[in-house]
Amino acid sequence: MKVVATILIILTGALLIYGVEDMPDWGDPNSPANSHVSPKYIQEALEKTATPNIVTAVLADYRGYDTMGETTVIFTAGMACILMLRKKRKGEGD
Amino acid sequence: MLEYIVSKYNFWAYVILLLIGLYAMVGKKNLVKKLIGMNIFQSAVILFYISIGVKKGGATVPIFLGDAHAAHGHGHALIDVASYINPLPHVLMLTAIVVSIATTGVALAVLILIFRRYKTLELDEIMKIRKDTGV
Repeated sequence: MKVVATILIILTGALLIYGVEDMPDWGDPNSPANSHVSPKYIQEALEKTATPNIVTAVLADYRGYDTMGETTVIFTAGMACILMLRKKRKGEGD
Repeated sequence: MLEYIVSKYNFWAYVILLLIGLYAMVGKKNLVKKLIGMNIFQSAVILFYISIGVKKGGATVPIFLGDAHAAHGHGHALIDVASYINPLPHVLMLTAIVVSIATTGVALAVLILIFRRYKTLELDEIMKIRKDTGV
């Protein structure tokens, strides 16, 4: 088990470090992640949603349906925990 | 070479953190330790995304203060993109944190059920019991 894990670590680590080579420098304002869509959000969020906090504007306005689906995830997880951990009634199986 | 490492040392840190989590998930036999490894793995991914959104050179959190709010009424007050950090990784990782909390909760509930049935959380002991009893 430990041998398999160590080999897996070395392979994955080599792959990731090879990938780091292509990443932009830390904090580069012109990196791809900072220069394609995010300037549009920063410039338009206040005008379109009237929310001063851009993170809130994206979470609740632009991606409102995604957040609604997220509540489904939380609900499902909570129901799963309740159903697994509740006390069984008499006569119920298992 | 040293300059190359220093300019991207944040990514190296996340690679190390991710490998610690992966090792714990694969190499450890205790199920709780596997779960902790999964959490470390998720933390590494979350930190990686957050660090993608960083802008150096005077950028602050993506919240407009009062003056920007007043200016938006009349005309297009041009907002300087370089003075606010990238908000999108923060939003996505907010979602990822919620999902990670949900998975951790369900996994802990499953671990409680496993412990109730087998009275142990060591994977090799569980597999031995399953082999002996044929369940």
